[in-house]
Amino acid sequence: MKIIIATILPLSLFAASFNAPMQKYIDELKVQAKNSDSSFVDFSVKRGEKIFTSVHVGKRGKKISCASCHSLNLKANGKNIHTNKVLKPLAPSVNSARLTVVKDTKKWLRRNFKDVYVRAGTAKEKGDVLYFINSK
Amino acid sequence: MKNIVLGAILTVSVSFASGVKPVDNQLYKKECASCHFGFQPGLLPARSWVKLMNNLENHFGDDASLDKNDKKLLVDYLVKNSSDRAMNYKRSRKITSSIFGNSTPIRITKTPYFIRKHDELRVGMVKQKEVGSISNCIACHTTANKGIYSERAINIPNYGRWE
Ligand code: HEC
Ligand code: HEC
Ligand code: HEC
Repeated sequence: MKIIIATILPLSLFAASFNAPMQKYIDELKVQAKNSDSSFVDFSVKRGEKIFTSVHVGKRGKKISCASCHSLNLKANGKNIHTNKVLKPLAPSVNSARLTVVKDTKKWLRRNFKDVYVRAGTAKEKGDVLYFINSK
Repeated sequence: MKNIVLGAILTVSVSFASGVKPVDNQLYKKECASCHFGFQPGLLPARSWVKLMNNLENHFGDDASLDKNDKKLLVDYLVKNSSDRAMNYKRSRKITSSIFGNSTPIRITKTPYFIRKHDELRVGMVKQKEVGSISNCIACHTTANKGIYSERAINIPNYGRWE
């Protein structure tokens, strides 16, 4: 019985894999995370979920989270709270274009961390949140 | 004969273009229509676009910064198609001539022509959640993405057609 659980669990956590360039970016983030904390092992979906859903006083001095624009249901459309424009779902399982172009992913993480956390994300935070999004 | 007629029709349609030129640049669509409706370059003069593009880090409260190469390509596109270089389009011409020579607005919605055209709107029409901001052109102008802003194609959510 134990053996079955052990095999199912990893499968469900890492259901979708990254494409090669994105995996390379993830690996770079891992090196950086390890450099700043030697006890670092791997990114975590659970920590990523907290980064995505927790509410902070953002750049505009108002309470905001990643989910404010992208919705708590990553498989659904979101809405940019600053402009009212509809955003396509973030979940790669329903929007296969997500997390496929490193340049774009980097750009939006840079902008969006500033919106919510009023600073850049750390390598660990970025990896965690990418694992979380990719698990959807 | 055929050729001559065709030539004549072409010239006429260009000199009487009524709206603004639609966006025809993939990079612009990707980078400048990701957060909001993709405003046509013909809605502001060249000097306005240059000023706006030089401060993308602080873009109306957002960070819209780009890498150097993409920024340059977009400045080129915006300047080339700016309102003061598209005077054959009626709206571009009217916007351009409404702006005082010594001012450089970075909002379309702050140009005198725009303000005059929207002075009959009531606050409730703009502040309702389906619109949110007067900058959200496409919420009321149903054909805005074709560069057509005529009265016939206005449909204000929960209020209906303008005519
Ligand atoms: C103010 C609204 C807003 C907030 C808040 C926000 N985002 Fe975004 N996000 C956007 C927009 C706009 C895009 C680009 C348009 C699109 O791709 O749908 C985007 C795109 C993304 C992408 C897409 C990259 C790709 O590869 O397609 C990721 C990842 C992302 N955001 C993560 C986050 C994270 C993590 C947070 C919280 C730290 C966050 N966002 C908060 C508006 C927001
Ligand atoms: C990260 C999000 C984001 C990106 C990317 C972005 N903008 Fe904006 N832009 C905004 C916000 C927010 C506003 C203010 C909207 C409002 O007041 O309702 C705005 C407003 C504008 C306005 C003024 C609209 C008016 O009121 O007349 C112009 C012009 C503009 N943007 C052009 C651009 C151009 C050109 C680009 C590409 C280089 C771009 N934007 C990319 C977020 C963005
Ligand atoms: C809340 C709805 C609403 C929004 C948002 C809006 N408009 Fe308008 N617009 C109108 C109405 C109503 C008129 C007036 C039509 C009339 O009486 O001539 C108008 C008129 C115009 C005209 C002149 C049309 C004509 O036939 O003379 C232009 C050009 C225009 N708008 C452009 C824009 C642009 C560009 C934006 C976005 C930056 C925008 N509008 C946002 C409702 C809106």
